[in-house]
Amino acid sequence: MTAKLEGRVIDFILWGSLAAVLIFFYVPIFTLIAFSFQEGRFLTLPFEGISLRWYGELFRNSNALTALWNSTVIAVVTTLIATAIGTMAAIVAVRYRFKGREAFQLLAGVPLAFPQLLLGIVLLLWFSVLGRIFDFSTGITTAIIGHIVYITPFAMVIVAVQVFNFDATVEDAARDCGASTYEVYRYVTIPLLWPGIFSAAIFAFLLSWGNFYLTYSLAGSTRTLPTFIFSGIAIGSSPLYPAIATVVFIPGILLVILANRLRRS
Amino acid sequence: MAEEVPRRWRDPELLVKALPTVILQTTCFLAPLVMTFLLTFQRSRNFQLQWTWDLWTWTDIFSKPHYWTILLHTVFMAVACVAICLVIAFPVAYGLATRFKAWENEIKVLITFAFITDATLKIYGWALFLDKNGMANYLLGSLGLSPEIVAFLFTDWATLLGMVYSLLAFAIFTLYLSISNIDRSLILAAYDAGAGKLRAHWEVTLPLCKPGIWAGSVLIFLLSVGAFLEPKVLGGGKSPMSAELIRQTFETRVNWPLGAALTLMLMVVSVFIVLLFSRLIGLKRAGLAS
Amino acid sequence: MTAILDISDVRKTYGSYAALKGVSLSVNQGEFIALVGPSGCGKTTLLKQIAGFEDPDSGHIAIAGADMAGVPAAKRPTSMVFQKLALFPHMTIAENIGFPLKLRQKSPTEIKKRVGEMIELMQLKTEYLTRYPRQLSGGEQQRVALARSMVSEPKLLLLDEPLSALDVKLKKVLQAELKRLHRSVGVTFVHVTHDLEEAMMLADRICVMRDGAILQLGTPGDIYYRPAGSFVAGFIGETNLVPITVTKRGEVGIDYRSADVSDADGRIAARLVAGNVGEGAAQLMLRPELLRVLPPGETADGVIEAEVVEMFGKGGTVQYRARSASGLALVVEIPGTSSLPMRIGDKVRLGFAKKDIYVFRAEA
Repeated sequence: MTAKLEGRVIDFILWGSLAAVLIFFYVPIFTLIAFSFQEGRFLTLPFEGISLRWYGELFRNSNALTALWNSTVIAVVTTLIATAIGTMAAIVAVRYRFKGREAFQLLAGVPLAFPQLLLGIVLLLWFSVLGRIFDFSTGITTAIIGHIVYITPFAMVIVAVQVFNFDATVEDAARDCGASTYEVYRYVTIPLLWPGIFSAAIFAFLLSWGNFYLTYSLAGSTRTLPTFIFSGIAIGSSPLYPAIATVVFIPGILLVILANRLRRS
Repeated sequence: MAEEVPRRWRDPELLVKALPTVILQTTCFLAPLVMTFLLTFQRSRNFQLQWTWDLWTWTDIFSKPHYWTILLHTVFMAVACVAICLVIAFPVAYGLATRFKAWENEIKVLITFAFITDATLKIYGWALFLDKNGMANYLLGSLGLSPEIVAFLFTDWATLLGMVYSLLAFAIFTLYLSISNIDRSLILAAYDAGAGKLRAHWEVTLPLCKPGIWAGSVLIFLLSVGAFLEPKVLGGGKSPMSAELIRQTFETRVNWPLGAALTLMLMVVSVFIVLLFSRLIGLKRAGLAS
Repeated sequence: MTAILDISDVRKTYGSYAALKGVSLSVNQGEFIALVGPSGCGKTTLLKQIAGFEDPDSGHIAIAGADMAGVPAAKRPTSMVFQKLALFPHMTIAENIGFPLKLRQKSPTEIKKRVGEMIELMQLKTEYLTRYPRQLSGGEQQRVALARSMVSEPKLLLLDEPLSALDVKLKKVLQAELKRLHRSVGVTFVHVTHDLEEAMMLADRICVMRDGAILQLGTPGDIYYRPAGSFVAGFIGETNLVPITVTKRGEVGIDYRSADVSDADGRIAARLVAGNVGEGAAQLMLRPELLRVLPPGETADGVIEAEVVEMFGKGGTVQYRARSASGLALVVEIPGTSSLPMRIGDKVRLGFAKKDIYVFRAEA
């Protein structure tokens, strides 16, 4: 009887804390979504009415559209490069045995535990000094480089999980069947690592798409959606910004669900 | 799985795959760090960087307690953040690893999405929620309670809430991984030995997921000493933390050497604290063993 | 007969560990050869060198007369069946079997035809073609792996303990299958196993390895009745090793003395003596089924007196453990229908024929 009661209490604690945490996680997200449908000019309650007015404003606001475009460009380029480098690094870090393996793993993974703001600043200093020597200023390219430095380790870790569960004898089998190095990758390695690579790409896209710190430091005068919203917070804002935020959420939730589907199938 | 036979760096299979990472992280991570270090030996005059190669910046830092007060405040907040994250994350991670099997994927999707969504947006959402005329007060008001939350936004508590919010997912995932790696038969053995569930939990699960607790703590600590948005937007910039100070040093004062030195100081102190703790924990373990 | 595979003095070292210490082996066209030995003996390493996954440090490997140095696995006329099968999990059975042909740029119609033939050869059901490996049973996956290896018509089929993960019953079925396959296609098989019994069943010749070197190469009969030493003798089944002292080595045989054997003339015919036996300490080997319990009054070429200490029923036969006066442990196996039932504690006389014994030098 007491054991049963104890079990109930534990269940209650576990499910209760899960519910609390999920509510906690979604409070700001739902707050933003709610405010984006506010009819009036002010971000206060009660609502004056519910409308899609600010979404219309959003698509007439050229600054917002430019920010949307910049975010997309940065995220797409970052995703492609970070996923490619991260995938290769994952194979090296998990599969290969060589002198300096630990050093490689450390070098490849350490930006994960580095505060983004500081990474942004350190890179800003670097690009400023280099910029003086080679005569360039920060902008979309430096922002992309910063994103790649930060996001590649994430991509590596995600692909590494897949590499870890990968039985390398199938590569030997392919070679034995007559496959060249390229054909082994094309027909066996990449198809088998694909779920990991694809999740890594999705995460890379989302991390870059929503990144504030690095863009803020490194993009110069170029604005992306997050930095655009940050400037909005400072100005004292209108429901335009929650509307942008809601737009930013959409690819996120779609891609996370997609990644999960793929991993399960 | 790792190969048995070691490769040489000459091996093109290794070289081609390792080189992009090595080049990227040395030119865009290590080199900037080294340069940051070198910058601390320069001076800034009239917003211009001068290559003086002296210890002026460092003497300045060590002579002004202001910087150290802020650093102490930052470390204190980070430690509090780690502690709160662990306490909240543990039951969720434990449930996720053991009891929520049926909903595991859905729960993971929900947590992942909340985690991956941009920090600016979420912090902005909190600001709107906690605002004087925001959701929280409105809800409290409609419940007939006095609007106490007014006082909450723009305090250290709000900053802490934001930090926990931003980093909680790290704690959940690292703890989840280490709990799901625990051999279930050990816990069953503890039940078998007559331990109650809570007792089994306390004596078996908790010690076994120490590595996860430790990894999560280190990660959260290192990331939270760099918190910037939370103190600025939720804390109202009233009691600045190191990141904000560094930001100002660069942006407002345009003093690169000082900013670089403050950045390094923050990094060195946080790594030192991590090492100190791991040494303490290591000593404790050695003490138990003997 | 021509040698399809010629291995001469192959050496391979991993770090400081010598996995192959100068191995030479010649395999004939169409032969079924088994590489046998305990784990770590170098048999799989040797197979990897033949397949081309690794290159030997020194020595030569030639297949069908062509030197394989520097030829990658993909370009060798060999095909391997892996221990873990290594079927491609993301390809259907048809795609798996057809993969080697696809890489050889064969037309889809030809691939389809050949895959059909392989399916038939391996006695797999045609509806499996569109399924994935994980949907098949262990035995079926094994057949698919064999089909994939055979489809490109290799000159050498290399089998790396492909049956070791299967249960006993399925193993027997697939052993028979391998034997049938070998007969019907006429390809040379090199089969690695740690199970000497399996090697005995399947192979034309067996190559016993230990510590990176070949101990003995011979037919299953050679290995069983004329092992090169006590290691090979003890590697399969049970055996009796009786210490003897060789007193004289002559043209027709050897003279010996033994504390355990009371012997008619203390002589052994020459053809059963391992070549390297000289005068001094040696061992006389007798398989349990070659010892006979002598009825009172009867005698044999050699007689050992002993006392029964234990007995085990083995179905068709009964195995007795006995101890001689000098303390030597002996194993005897006689048919369960024998008219001479023995009990524990009985004194018995065990006889053997001179033609059945085998002598090799005592190992330190």
